[in-house]
Amino acid sequence: MELREYRIEREPYYRASGDEVALFEAAYASRMPVMLKGPTGCGKTRFIEHMAWRLGKPLITVACNEDMTAADLVGRHLLDAEGTVWHDGPLTRAVRHGAICYLDEIVEARQDATVIIHPLTDERRLLPIEKRNELVVAHPDFQLVIAYNPGYQSVVKDLKESTKQRFGALDFTYPPASVEAEIVAHEAGVEPTVARRLVQIGERSRNLRGRGLDEGASTRMLIHAGRLAARGVALEAACRMALVLPLTDDADVRDALSAAITACL
Amino acid sequence: MSEVPPRPEEAYARIRAEGGAGELHFSDVERQLRHFLTALWGRDVPMRALSAGGDAPEARRSGFDGGVIRLPDALPALAGQPAEALFRASLAHLAAHLIFSRRQLARGLKPLLMAVVGLVEDARVEHLAMRAFPGLRRLWLPFHVAEPSGALIAADLMERLSRALIDPGYEDANHWVAKGRALFFDGKDQWEDPDFSLRVGGLLAGDLGKMRVGLNHKTYLVEPAYRDDNGGLWEFDTPPQVPPDDHDLPLEAMRAEPSEGQEPDEFDGAARNDPAAASAPAGEADPEAGVPVARYPEWDYRIGLQRPGFARVVECPAPPSSPALIDGLLARDPGMVRRVARLVRAAKFSRPERLRRQAEGETLDLDACVEAAVERRLGHAPDPRVHAATRRRFRDLSVLVLLDVSQSTNDPVSDPAGGAPTTVLALERHATALLAAAMAEAGDRFAVHAFCSNGREEVRYQRVKDFGDPYDNAAKARLGGLRGRYSTRMGTALRHAGRQIAGQPTHRRLVLLITDGEPSDIDSGDRRYLIEDTRKAVGELAGAGVDVFCVRLGGTSAADARDPARIFGGRNVLTVERLERLPDMLPQLYFRLTA
Repeated sequence: MELREYRIEREPYYRASGDEVALFEAAYASRMPVMLKGPTGCGKTRFIEHMAWRLGKPLITVACNEDMTAADLVGRHLLDAEGTVWHDGPLTRAVRHGAICYLDEIVEARQDATVIIHPLTDERRLLPIEKRNELVVAHPDFQLVIAYNPGYQSVVKDLKESTKQRFGALDFTYPPASVEAEIVAHEAGVEPTVARRLVQIGERSRNLRGRGLDEGASTRMLIHAGRLAARGVALEAACRMALVLPLTDDADVRDALSAAITACL
Repeated sequence: MSEVPPRPEEAYARIRAEGGAGELHFSDVERQLRHFLTALWGRDVPMRALSAGGDAPEARRSGFDGGVIRLPDALPALAGQPAEALFRASLAHLAAHLIFSRRQLARGLKPLLMAVVGLVEDARVEHLAMRAFPGLRRLWLPFHVAEPSGALIAADLMERLSRALIDPGYEDANHWVAKGRALFFDGKDQWEDPDFSLRVGGLLAGDLGKMRVGLNHKTYLVEPAYRDDNGGLWEFDTPPQVPPDDHDLPLEAMRAEPSEGQEPDEFDGAARNDPAAASAPAGEADPEAGVPVARYPEWDYRIGLQRPGFARVVECPAPPSSPALIDGLLARDPGMVRRVARLVRAAKFSRPERLRRQAEGETLDLDACVEAAVERRLGHAPDPRVHAATRRRFRDLSVLVLLDVSQSTNDPVSDPAGGAPTTVLALERHATALLAAAMAEAGDRFAVHAFCSNGREEVRYQRVKDFGDPYDNAAKARLGGLRGRYSTRMGTALRHAGRQIAGQPTHRRLVLLITDGEPSDIDSGDRRYLIEDTRKAVGELAGAGVDVFCVRLGGTSAADARDPARIFGGRNVLTVERLERLPDMLPQLYFRLTA
């Protein structure tokens, strides 16, 4: 079977903090394109992995970068002994064989890459491959999911209106403190009390968002700190390594954040 | 640690004696403290430095009042802790008050009662804060240095009680201290109640009264040093006495800004009233007299029409000075020269260009593929570079740096580099020298022109360096020789600059206007007239495919920025208040150009 390697065998841990699972299932039932919004490290990628497992569909993930072009998504001609051969890109594979295609950090990709998804995301559900003169009709299982972080405070790094309006959206934020502590405890393997402290520390850094920090500590960062702590590192040192130093190079903010963390412990 | 804790006066004398070494100024830690407060409580509370005023000990106590935190403008290292920790402990304590304290009516309360209630309230809010942030105890504890003693002095007993309430390991046999401790911790469940302090404090103050230990409330100072004067706890019928400079402080800060912004206007006013300046002929005796080269229309917003041929541009020679001046400026900070040069080099402006025969790329280069296939069938080794890619490769940009050299550029600005006071013109010259060196090194096409005006018939235009010219010592000498005089008829100068750059065969054309203010001229009383005309000129240039970008030097206030934003568009104005920030700002400029 095609795309076997893209199937998710074991259930990825995901702790829902709202009705996002039900909403996504409804969206998938009508194959509505979905956009996952939210700050980095809040569980967008984990969520889509969980949903792909739940729905039993293969998941093709593409991490977009600023050099990403339409050809990287659709495919390209390669040379072999006989001449050229066409090689499907990840998007085309998903469209042909029926996978959930997840484009992570879509705003990073070049404009031409974001525009080729347009015919896939309306009633047509088509992918034109102009280089081969081919029209690929989407497999019934195909769904497009994109993720983006609206926190990028840059005008050029925003989705075009014509792209945005093709998607339903789920808004992800950091989960409520108790839920987040549960997640940190599960993922990092630390005691619930330690997890709660870490979440409290995380909230301190999120208070500084936009006032010294571009972004507060993500759930992922808290899990990192938790994992260090689980290996016997003192919590303060773990937080310094996993939170303070990666978050900022500004000495004042670092000192303030370190002091706030000390106050939490 | 001494047996008998020093009296406040002694403590303060000690603080002052030690002061010189470990003293830290509020301004040095203000940003850090602000972030600390925000991180902990998610609040942005205004903070003011409280000038130490005379030598009064109160001056070194923090305080809070009406949602404003006052911190001493300098604090020493104390009790083996760095001054930073003292600032932080003070702030954390004040924040606990702001979050958990409620104002009480002070009417009819004796000073002793208020002091004891304040002590209990301090402990109460600290314990509430420590429930959320247990680590705060480690911040506060080192400052509690009171030791048990036989002395029965109220201030001493209170300091010991303060310690007993926060330090679980502290032992004190004194009956009053023990009672206070018991009352406080027995009421643990009532800590949330703001009246708790009033009840417990009332009982304790009564006992203290019976013990006949007096409190000299004139010299009483809340200990330990990180705690505030608790003035913010009480609602007085009459305003409490506070040092007058404290209240004036925020007001002064606000007053300073507009006067700064008004200076250029005032100067122009003076020039208008000066008959010699206004009626000076186009200057036969002037060695820098120029030749009229063009007339430009001006836009009159009042009639909504162009006034054709209204302003005349006179090109004047730029008097040279020594090129050593410019080289000297650059030699002062070679690191900055390198940074600016790197930024300029890194920016790419050109049409995307298709590169063929690449080793890798987005598409196959068909011609190369066919050739490769033919080669192979002929039994030759084919060229593996069969891909094509698109890149922006060249710096297809010409820049005209247009300097405002009006009289107002002779205004002093606050010193950017930590040296002697400087003028806007000197800043302009320095910034231009940096940019020019970088652009010359990168091989860009650029010109440096300067303008000022003396009425609409004499818009003086000087060429420091033209597009075709090399950036040599002669150009540097002319840049160094620029002098600030006359006024700022920006619109006409921009139109002329636009004409100079229009012929440049590049993809992007940029007029970079470096100025200190807004347009004005001696024959235009209506301020808005020249602003509107300049706005129109910027629009005309944009229509001709020339980007106009304004770099404002020296100005800082937001009100100053409104008119330039109106003229050039908000995203085309860059305010550089300190020259060191130029390298930080340049990427913004380039980003806006390429975006």
